[in-house]
Amino acid sequence: MTSKNYDYDVIVIGAGPAGSCFSRIAAGAGLNVMVIDKRKEIGVPVRCGEALGLGEIIKQDLDIPKHCYSLVVDGAKIVGPNGKAIKWVAEDTRGYVLERKFFDKWLAELAVEKGATVKTYSRATEVLKDEKGKLCGVKVTHGGREPYDITAPLIVSAEGMESLMARAMGFKTVHALYDVDTCYEYEMKPYDHENLIELYFGNQIAPRGYVWIFPKADKKANVGIGIGANIANGEKRGGIKGADPKILLDEFIEKDKQLQNASSLLDFGGVISVGAPINEFVKDNAMVIGTAAKQVDPIHGGGIGMAMEAGVMAAKVAIDAHKKKDFSKNVLYPYEKEWRATTGVTAAHRLKLRKVLEKVSDDDFNHVFNSINEKDLPEIMNGKFAGPVAKILAGRPQLLAALSGLLS
Amino acid sequence: MITIKHDGCILCVGCSSVCPTNAIEVVGTRMEHFSDKCIDCGLCVRACPANVIQMYKGIKDAKALPPDAEYG
Repeated sequence: MTSKNYDYDVIVIGAGPAGSCFSRIAAGAGLNVMVIDKRKEIGVPVRCGEALGLGEIIKQDLDIPKHCYSLVVDGAKIVGPNGKAIKWVAEDTRGYVLERKFFDKWLAELAVEKGATVKTYSRATEVLKDEKGKLCGVKVTHGGREPYDITAPLIVSAEGMESLMARAMGFKTVHALYDVDTCYEYEMKPYDHENLIELYFGNQIAPRGYVWIFPKADKKANVGIGIGANIANGEKRGGIKGADPKILLDEFIEKDKQLQNASSLLDFGGVISVGAPINEFVKDNAMVIGTAAKQVDPIHGGGIGMAMEAGVMAAKVAIDAHKKKDFSKNVLYPYEKEWRATTGVTAAHRLKLRKVLEKVSDDDFNHVFNSINEKDLPEIMNGKFAGPVAKILAGRPQLLAALSGLLS
Repeated sequence: MITIKHDGCILCVGCSSVCPTNAIEVVGTRMEHFSDKCIDCGLCVRACPANVIQMYKGIKDAKALPPDAEYG
């Protein structure tokens, strides 16, 4: 039962993977959940590469319908600046290449089926506070119409990159240019693949980032690039030096024997967070989940799995807070504590790795690729750097300074 | 202030993600810029993957923009 003083038990801003997973669990436990999403259609426009490991889907016991994904891939092929490829195929490297516009809508439908209310084209314009200064709701406009107030004792920001309401609630979610990658992407056809996602590294190819080819059904593929937004490889409008991912992506495609003859079916892109998570995920009456909290892998920029996981973690704590009728920071904190003790540890390892890799020259990068094999990759990605680093240093001890960040 | 050439914008919200003053936001189906909040820092120009934002330093009023300024 919603307290008579409030319209809902919880307002969720954003119906992406984080918001919808939160809402599914919270509504399933009987909470009266209102989800608002500013987009006209959930999941549109797509702004990402659409890859997701199988892990989170299995963990949440979800039966993903066929139309929500394009292909199940076996693993990854990682290609160094000199073209040497390392294939990484294991039980835990299998993953989906999704159809995000269907996938996001399906996750939202699951929340609706559990009793949550979803409203599209509904943008929160400001946060509301009661006479004591306590957060108590948001002002919403539906498609630019006259704004109205909705109230709840808990506001959850699942807003993704822009996270404007999270900022209004006092969270420090503005992104530094250094900690975002700017990305451009095409859906292309035809592309013959090995049922692996392909990642191409190198300072010439994609400074502080990579080119990805994520295969999709019917010989289609998402071909994209992300580069550090602080890179100045191009001239932006008005003569400002800045990162222009499209120039490099077009160069890559021009050099690729298959892609140079392929067609593009869609232009899309976006920015991804590759920095550290925000310094606090909860305040009195407020939580931040998913990309809004910068819960993103700093190496590959993937955030769907983490967002779904954080949604569930936060929902369990919100259900508990609802039982206690107490939405203070202390009661909401177990979500933040759990995240930082589990996923947060992995994310911190990856951030360390990113900060080391961005300083490595192409020549050294080639040496790294020549020194390691497919058995080393899982160790590196899981933060066990010592073994692989020893192999790399054996052939090129002068890399010690560059790689020492991984050994501390 | 900045102008956005909407023809070419892919609505990725990169600009609003890095804007320190919340001066740019998705409204309806396009990005809107609120020039009263803009501090001419240029971060949105640099983050934009589609290269559709142009900065006009020191100009606060759209009427003072040069005649060739593009909105798209």
